[in-house]
Amino acid sequence: MPRAPRVLAGKRPRPLTALSLTLALVAAGFAAWAGEDWYAAAHDDRAAYAAQRDEALAAGEQAVQNLNTLDHRDLDRGLDLWESSTTGELREQLASGRERFAEQVKAAKTVTTARVLSGAVTELDDRAGRARVLVALRVTVKAPDGAKTEKDSRMLGELTRSKSRWRLSALGQAPVGGASAG
Amino acid sequence: MRLTRPRRVSAPAPTGPVTADSTDDEAAFDTPATEAARPEPGIPGGEPAGSGTTGARAGSPAEAETRSGPEPATPLGEEAEAGGRVSRRSPGGRPRRVAAAGIVAVLLAGGCGFSYGAHRLRSAEATRNRALTDTEATARVAGEIDNALARVFSYTPDGTTTAERSARTLLDGRAARQYRELFARIHDDLAGQRITLSTKAVRTGVIELDGDRARLLVFLDQTSRRGDGKATTAAAQLTVTARLVNDRWRIVDIKAR
Repeated sequence: MPRAPRVLAGKRPRPLTALSLTLALVAAGFAAWAGEDWYAAAHDDRAAYAAQRDEALAAGEQAVQNLNTLDHRDLDRGLDLWESSTTGELREQLASGRERFAEQVKAAKTVTTARVLSGAVTELDDRAGRARVLVALRVTVKAPDGAKTEKDSRMLGELTRSKSRWRLSALGQAPVGGASAG
Repeated sequence: MRLTRPRRVSAPAPTGPVTADSTDDEAAFDTPATEAARPEPGIPGGEPAGSGTTGARAGSPAEAETRSGPEPATPLGEEAEAGGRVSRRSPGGRPRRVAAAGIVAVLLAGGCGFSYGAHRLRSAEATRNRALTDTEATARVAGEIDNALARVFSYTPDGTTTAERSARTLLDGRAARQYRELFARIHDDLAGQRITLSTKAVRTGVIELDGDRARLLVFLDQTSRRGDGKATTAAAQLTVTARLVNDRWRIVDIKAR
């Protein structure tokens, strides 16, 4: 076959082209699959819910700490922080009682600091934007004479999400010796 | 670990440093999102400028070849045509091949980027923690731990053996050791002073739940009575670490908060 070499020369790019085409297809398939996989992971409901849970907890712990922190020398900033950490009824309560409370603290000259020992979310309604948290807290009150008193408290907080931020809408001590509930 | 001791009813025990878990969790969740966006800028730019535009042409090398350019095919037979193709391929073929390789590289890199992003998202701490996301498992671990704490920390002057027997099946590791030591110390006093203790979990929150490991925050009420005296109730806050062994949650560590 005298023509064989020529035919081969003419067809040489073919296998290369086929190979690169296959390679491109495989690569495209892989990219598509991976993209879809990533999309699924990024839009996983459970992941979004978990993220909300963690956000609610972080916001709840911070808010509970804020509301148990107050320095008589810097009342305005402290009370502003109280208001920015809260929403709804709790915020209204704090705002309406603010003046009276500020006077009391000014007279008592106390410095109150708080440390969150542990916290957990017990309920989370992602759609309604409501959550409940438990927070174990250590509150230290420093009197004007320098005496320090420490008190552990266990708080129950209710959070409401507004403008994609979680804020405390209710806060209270978990009752001791009362009726039990979840 | 808090047990009501003969003399004093649960004074708040000093605790270790706070671990700000939640903020860590949040940070850990944030990263995957930014991480996932990374593949875009990572597109291999190793190719000469304009690899994208040449890419459009190179997408169909086979087609280009059969048409063989704008020149009309010369009717000189196969030989001339084949020769012409060979000579024409050298100027146009190389950039085309480079572009094709570029596209493949882009696709591969993109795929790898997406895969990595998906992996990061799935293994993110927030997603791995199934507290509340898996309602059934969350309710189960909370219920079992409440129950375990109530059984292990409730006794009558005559019946500490029940509590101790429960402890053997419900406690493990450090918690079991501490419990044994504590009971050995106070055992005689308990009977002597006729102390009754009943423990009840008031609120329980699951902080973390990852397969066979869980961490919970439990608010306890502990009511104790000495002899026929008046009952007093004290509050206790515990973080409990539990492990799932043989399909049963066992407490491996207890920290007073």
